[in-house]
Amino acid sequence: MKKKHVSKAAILDAVITYVILIAVCVIFFFPVLWIIASSFSRSGSIYDIKGFFPSSFSMASYVKLFRDTAMYNYPNWLLNTLFVAVFSSLIGTVLVILTAFTISTFQFKSRRLLMKSALVLSMFPSFMGMTAVYLIMVNFNLINQLWSLILIYAAGAPMGYLVQKGYFDTISNTIYEAARIDGATNGMIFRKITLPLAKPMIVYTALTQFAWPWSDFILPKLLLKNKELWTVSVGLASLDETQFSRFAAGSVFISVPIVILYFSLSKFLVAGVSAGAVKE
Amino acid sequence: MKKIRVYASSVVMGSGQLMQGQWIKGLLYLGCLAAFVTYLVTTGVTDIIGFFTLGTETADPWLGTKGDDSILMMLRGILAFFIIAAYGLLHAANIRDVKEGEEALAQGKKLPSFWKAFRTFTDRKFYVVALFVPIVGVLILNVLPIVFMILISFTNYGGDIVPPALVDWVGLDNYGKILTLTEIKGTFFRILGWNLVWAVLATFLNYFGGLGLALLLNKKCVKGKTFWRTFPILAYAIPGFITLLGFKFLFSYGGPINYYITMNGGTAVGFLDIDAGIKAKLIGLLVNTWCSVPTSMLLATGILSNMNTDLYDAASIDGAGRWKQFTKITLPFVVFSTTPVIITSFIGNFNNFGVFYFLRGGLYNDGYFLASDTDLLINWLYNLSIDNNYYGIGAAVSLVIFIITSVISLSVYVRSNAYRKEDSFR
Repeated sequence: MKKKHVSKAAILDAVITYVILIAVCVIFFFPVLWIIASSFSRSGSIYDIKGFFPSSFSMASYVKLFRDTAMYNYPNWLLNTLFVAVFSSLIGTVLVILTAFTISTFQFKSRRLLMKSALVLSMFPSFMGMTAVYLIMVNFNLINQLWSLILIYAAGAPMGYLVQKGYFDTISNTIYEAARIDGATNGMIFRKITLPLAKPMIVYTALTQFAWPWSDFILPKLLLKNKELWTVSVGLASLDETQFSRFAAGSVFISVPIVILYFSLSKFLVAGVSAGAVKE
Repeated sequence: MKKIRVYASSVVMGSGQLMQGQWIKGLLYLGCLAAFVTYLVTTGVTDIIGFFTLGTETADPWLGTKGDDSILMMLRGILAFFIIAAYGLLHAANIRDVKEGEEALAQGKKLPSFWKAFRTFTDRKFYVVALFVPIVGVLILNVLPIVFMILISFTNYGGDIVPPALVDWVGLDNYGKILTLTEIKGTFFRILGWNLVWAVLATFLNYFGGLGLALLLNKKCVKGKTFWRTFPILAYAIPGFITLLGFKFLFSYGGPINYYITMNGGTAVGFLDIDAGIKAKLIGLLVNTWCSVPTSMLLATGILSNMNTDLYDAASIDGAGRWKQFTKITLPFVVFSTTPVIITSFIGNFNNFGVFYFLRGGLYNDGYFLASDTDLLINWLYNLSIDNNYYGIGAAVSLVIFIITSVISLSVYVRSNAYRKEDSFR
């Protein structure tokens, strides 16, 4: 510290700041800690865990989660979730990147119309479409199919093209112009120039497209009536108070990959949430 | 001579191209025309008639007649309109193409071979090729359902009237029911009132909670920003359904909070019970804040990092205090840059299905028609259409939700500076 005189007001300010910060961290961390601790509890029911933290710890819940699958087939839920999330992510990413690149790079007649329609479409409560999708799927006998989930996730993905478009907007047009003068077609430009430049964005897109089905509840709840096809979210929601530590263990297990994923993405997170904001 | 080919193509798609000697292209167009006509003759026309009648024959198990399925007929009708529209677009493209060919011929040029034309097309109209699949996907899985839902809201589908019973068009009856039928009307306006209060409070709390947290972390005296930021990001990363279910367990009868209450001699509190009243609402609000503040914190952090700090130095020299700096510099800047986000967040909260579904799903209060006192319109919509098969009324409710949210957001959005300046951004 160069300054010798730190005023009392500054110290007080710092103290208050840290007190609030610690309080905020406790508020955010405590429920998480509670669930993690409960997942290691020896007993299964929430009634047996006296207070916030279990008196004795064990791995029993995790063992049960994967072994005792007669009633609650967690490994199966996990595989279903993984299957849906991986394929939704693959198809969704291709569609989003294509859409964002095209909307960002080309000035065609219906471009603004498309963007406005996307805006209006996004204003319909997503639930409205889902009820309809449910009715349609029931009528065409398409419920209880994992791939119908994949189709819905992937087809809905291009609606959220704004983050990616923002990224493509930052790629200067002069590179493209130069390539065109050299005789490159637009398809070649996309493959040879844009894709390599957009690698971080592609990774980001793939991961977010993965995270969405991984943690979605309502769509699988609507479309998967067959217990064999349940995803983790539907399965976990079916657990009651007596299965609390199973719920906790299942939650921890499914959250860990997604939490790691988000932390590895942390430099993109800000861009992701501010997609709708004006860039100065 | 020139015009004849254009006319020919306007009548019979592809014939003009054949006359120009573009065999493959012409035959492809002709093939599409043939497919389209076959479709119309075999199913298209019936489907469109079916769309208007929604079926005339009820199934009769005694006589063994297979009746009409109204909902399938409506869906096939919508599909028929989509196909006709697609054909219309193709037809227009065909006329444009034959005209271009004519112009090229008039200038004495030779028409390109099919493959060459195809390659030029995919390059020059790259956007058509690239956007084809995404747009078709969105049309089928986003637009079609919405159209379907809008149409359902004008029918009596639901309740007892589900196939094999025949569904009919009933005009604005469902909307009338929402506005006049006492039982439904009462529920609708009570839920709408709470829904608006909820959306305003939740948006306010999330927004300023996030902004406050971001400002706190931005302070010069705070060391180890990454460390402090870890905790809200952790909360952000955990899937929403887990957070919400976790909070439900936290407040449940066997949960730790009730354990400590009973330990100290109290009686267990049904925080989320049917008669919880205001308690459940407050818990919902707090839980929602816990879930959403991290998002708005990230957002505010991004915006604050773009901010010009010179203004603060100037303001300090002029003797402006902290609070004044906040209200005069920070707030206007942040609010200006985030108007669209506030709208999105408001709509998100207005349609926040998860919070009350997970915390108290499936409860029906007295005085409400298939809803509880914490339910938002979107939860009511779920109760109506998924749990109780009131499809028609549910669809009407969802359209009302759409109208409310879009009017609010459009009126705010159009007035905001963000929109006015949008044209200056690429």
